[in-house]
Amino acid sequence: MFRTTLQRTAPSIRLVVTSGQSRPNSNVPPSKLEVFIDDKKVHVDPGTTVLQAAALVGVEIPRFCYHERLAVAGNCRMCLVEVERSPKPVAACAMPVMNGWKIKTNSELTRKAREGVMEFLLMNHPLDCPICDQGGECDLQDQSMAFGSDRSRFVDIDFSGKRAVEDKDIGPLVKTVMTRCIHCTRCIRFASEVAGVDDLGTTGRGSDMQVGTYIEKMFLSELSGNVIDLCPVGALTSKPYSFTARPWETRKTDSVDVLDALGSNIVVSTRAGDVMRILPRLNEDINEEWLSDKSRFSYDGLKRQRLITPLVKDNKGNLVPVEWEDALVTTSRALINANGNIVGVSGGLSDAESMIALKDLLNRLGSEELYTEEPFPISGSGTDLRSSYLLNSSIAGLEQADLVLLIGTNPRYEAPLLNTRIRKAYVHNDLEIALLGSKVDLSYDYEYLGESPATLKDLAEKRHAFFSKLSKAKRPVIILGAQQFERQDGAVLLAQAQQLSQELSKNVDKGWKILNVLQQVAGQVAALDLGYKPNLRLSAPKVLYLLGADNEAILKNKPAGTTVIYQGHHGDAGAAIADIVLPGAAYTEKQATYVNTEGRAQQTLMAVQPPGMARSDWKIIRAISEFVGVKLPYDTLNEVRDRLTDVCPSMTRYGDLEQANFLAQASDLAKDLSFKSVSTPLNVKQIALEDFYMTDSISRSSPTMAKCIQAVRKQKESKYYESRI
Amino acid sequence: MFVNMAFNLIKQSGGIAIKKAISSSPSKGLFTAAVRSSKETRGLEKVYEKNEPVLLETDNVIGKTPLMAVQNYIEVADKVDISSLTGVPEEHVKSRLVKISKATKNVMQSGTDNTHNWVMEFDNRERWENPLMGWTSTGDPLSNMKIEFIERADAINFCEKNGWKWYLEAEHKTKPRPKSYAINFSWNKRTRASTK
Repeated sequence: MFRTTLQRTAPSIRLVVTSGQSRPNSNVPPSKLEVFIDDKKVHVDPGTTVLQAAALVGVEIPRFCYHERLAVAGNCRMCLVEVERSPKPVAACAMPVMNGWKIKTNSELTRKAREGVMEFLLMNHPLDCPICDQGGECDLQDQSMAFGSDRSRFVDIDFSGKRAVEDKDIGPLVKTVMTRCIHCTRCIRFASEVAGVDDLGTTGRGSDMQVGTYIEKMFLSELSGNVIDLCPVGALTSKPYSFTARPWETRKTDSVDVLDALGSNIVVSTRAGDVMRILPRLNEDINEEWLSDKSRFSYDGLKRQRLITPLVKDNKGNLVPVEWEDALVTTSRALINANGNIVGVSGGLSDAESMIALKDLLNRLGSEELYTEEPFPISGSGTDLRSSYLLNSSIAGLEQADLVLLIGTNPRYEAPLLNTRIRKAYVHNDLEIALLGSKVDLSYDYEYLGESPATLKDLAEKRHAFFSKLSKAKRPVIILGAQQFERQDGAVLLAQAQQLSQELSKNVDKGWKILNVLQQVAGQVAALDLGYKPNLRLSAPKVLYLLGADNEAILKNKPAGTTVIYQGHHGDAGAAIADIVLPGAAYTEKQATYVNTEGRAQQTLMAVQPPGMARSDWKIIRAISEFVGVKLPYDTLNEVRDRLTDVCPSMTRYGDLEQANFLAQASDLAKDLSFKSVSTPLNVKQIALEDFYMTDSISRSSPTMAKCIQAVRKQKESKYYESRI
Repeated sequence: MFVNMAFNLIKQSGGIAIKKAISSSPSKGLFTAAVRSSKETRGLEKVYEKNEPVLLETDNVIGKTPLMAVQNYIEVADKVDISSLTGVPEEHVKSRLVKISKATKNVMQSGTDNTHNWVMEFDNRERWENPLMGWTSTGDPLSNMKIEFIERADAINFCEKNGWKWYLEAEHKTKPRPKSYAINFSWNKRTRASTK
């Protein structure tokens, strides 16, 4: 009906419609290509490589140089496969498929090609598997078993011609045995593409080719440990882990890292009661399959400076070890005598379970004074609106951005894997980045806007030259470093950033969130979600309960007459001023909930038992509650989590991103603040690589991290060192 | 009647598990099954009250489908809990937590062979180095129980059946990225390889 009337009233429309219909253009390539992998039909997008097409039907083609997350190099030749009617085998990793190709991944020619490649590789590879740390998880070992020849033609029993290469010294984390190198160049590609440090490269040709740094120098990267994972042979192995364990004798526990706010997924390898090493675990939304050096190598800090027994101060003022019962009695006496005049402070490594237990306990004792160590502005909407303190566009979402403005942060050292995301978008999507704050080396080029906070005000008021660029962006992202909230005027900066992002939100893609806050510690988001207050103003309470709070800046003016209770796992700044010390568990020793900076709840799993008399943190608080006489209504972990769900339902939906979207309201509430002017320059704490390694009580007690700092400092004295800032 | 049914109920009293009555049958049809809260089988409530073995009518347990009887296989429509029959100590049924997850690829290697199944694992308990040989000891009988299932639902059913609390970890899928050898050499892109 409608159509006929329309055609009658406006015949021109019909004309337009018919002329708009285009005939199928024969030049347009078909949307899907049909290829056959071992006679199995598969439809793939144009541009798909043979290797990817084979993976779609579950055929795995062996490879050494190819890596999913790195550029295609095509130099190991292990992935050679036969293509019907092709005179030579093709390198599957680099060759895009053509329509109708019949690929044979298990034909005589293919097998012969693989066998030949294996023979060449093994000819110059030492037979030192028994003393090689890669043994048991070595691609060369596995693939020579699966695809290599069953006999050797190697007759050089005098070892006259076997290649030998001098080892390199590239720092205290990566051990090199360069004779084992098969020149896959994965480490080189990782360094230049992902880490953004062009330190590694090849020199020489043929059998004289060497992978190295050309001149001896440290591989100055916060992500250097990843080349250990990438190396398909034992050429690059972990120095702290060397000769300590074999992969088949360790137990692997999936867990979550807490040394930065990203919550990278990790696998904790343990043997008996020891953490042997930490590896990344694949999670596309957070860390892909990378891990920062601090998260990977500071596990030796879990064995040093530990609190393994309860301690109570005696008459002379010395902390002496006591039994749990004595410690609990002393604690409960102090808490009862305080008459509600108690302040609780939660530190950066605290988990949600212990935080809710402490909050319930102190609330029952008549105190509402629960604070987080990390500051956050309380003016405006404060912490009421979750979107104010989250990384709203999510870590993976940064890849879609087309312009990133970093304010007062150095993501390279505060959250290295967030920085790799930005760098990934920089390399592949031509992302543009601007930095407002201390000038630092971010591993990619950026537009520097100076370190004056007035620039932010100018941007928010549309006066700055850079604003036109920002306003043209379809998917802009503003990342504000949470460390700026330590300033007196942090609230003003947040208000101005909020105002700027509101300004920009008028012409961005629908649903795109602009404002992000990059938290510094793993416990902050969970604490704010649970209702902890930021901005501790330490008066003189009767009892100060520190739950893993180790920030020296806050604790240095300990009020007189206050009983300080410290619960945590390391003897750090908090335990130093404590009157009662209750030993808790570190993140590898408890099943606990953490919420990362984008608002994603994740849980750590217990890999090893807490050392000595240390116990899981929420259990300690639960025990105290019984001694005090206000028994908390949960006995098991599941019951604590039920309580967590009551307070914050998203906190037990593990793995799910719980986003918030009250950005406009938060901006409105903070409107009056944004007119204020701020003059102190925007500085960041972690400027250079040596500032990265030690940031919390675990990494501070790690000898490996100390070695890293020393090595970086030594490298800086070298005449070949040049600063990139 | 070719099936003799009996219930093996474990009664926990004073810390001692008393096992009573094991099913016996002259023919090959030896069945044990527990049915809880079944609407049709009212006789079972009495069994639970008495906590004693009782001979049951076959029809109470077996559904109406004759096919099942042919296959010597009982399928009970309700939730099955065999934890009282398995002989697993009550402590290891009630206090254990099972994680069901899909194994992720080991980042140290490129092979993906062990990543296609759903794995159930128990929560970790204490391990120590044995002073005699330096080997790792544990007091946990379930520490080595790591079972793989093809389907997620199978793993969940298995845990349900055995009375273990479980939780599921979402699968992390990788999205294939378009790969191109040519972008290493593009003159105007940042993907151009700087070092080789």
